[in-house]
Amino acid sequence: MTATLSLHLPPTTDSVTALLEALEAFTDEHELPIKAASRLMLLAEELAANVVMHGTGATFFQADLALEGGVLRFSLTDDGPAFDPLAADEADTEAALEDREVGGLGVHFVRKLASSAAYSRQGDKNHLALTLDAAAE
Amino acid sequence: MQITMSSAAGLQVAKLEGRLDTATAPQAETTLLPAIAAPGLVLDLTAVRYVSSAGLRLLLKLAKEAKGKGAKFALAGLQPAVREVFEISGFDKIIPAFATLDEATAG
Repeated sequence: MTATLSLHLPPTTDSVTALLEALEAFTDEHELPIKAASRLMLLAEELAANVVMHGTGATFFQADLALEGGVLRFSLTDDGPAFDPLAADEADTEAALEDREVGGLGVHFVRKLASSAAYSRQGDKNHLALTLDAAAE
Repeated sequence: MQITMSSAAGLQVAKLEGRLDTATAPQAETTLLPAIAAPGLVLDLTAVRYVSSAGLRLLLKLAKEAKGKGAKFALAGLQPAVREVFEISGFDKIIPAFATLDEATAG
């Protein structure tokens, strides 16, 4: 059985909150372990915030989630200019406090926490697809 | 995000409840940044189930502010999912985090 969730939202901070609320309700309903739920929310927020905060000119973002056979498939689609978040520089997680900035953590989290991640430009839309282990505790 | 201020062992303690994310971090900053002063501030994160990079950004800002003011800054009670984010981002090397509030105020 496959459980799915799909949200089509305007690119606002409120939409990021709405997305997180929906993901939390989904993970509760399907009794996912807290770490799997947290990873999903973290990555979804990073990717959605990329679209929303950077004022890319996107008019919407769409989040799709499917849970099947112990795997979470999450994808985010937006109609902003071509942008591959996976190509961004990673944060220096070894830097001292004084030198530490928080840019680049999103892509670092994707690389560490997702089982797979792929970006594609589909027509005039960005499409980022992730898979995550739904059993991570 | 609920924030309750108290004090323990001479330090200020802020107990956070809820999610520390893109939506709640700005509001938390308004409360917490002015609370950074010597001798120090401890954030009790026992009731925080989720921290995103927007939350981490706030923690970093608070830690830098504390360093500038010569104040102590520490975290207590990180839940496993929060600890994972904290460690992956390398923040465990730059911000002291303790299992319990008692250890954080003593440490």
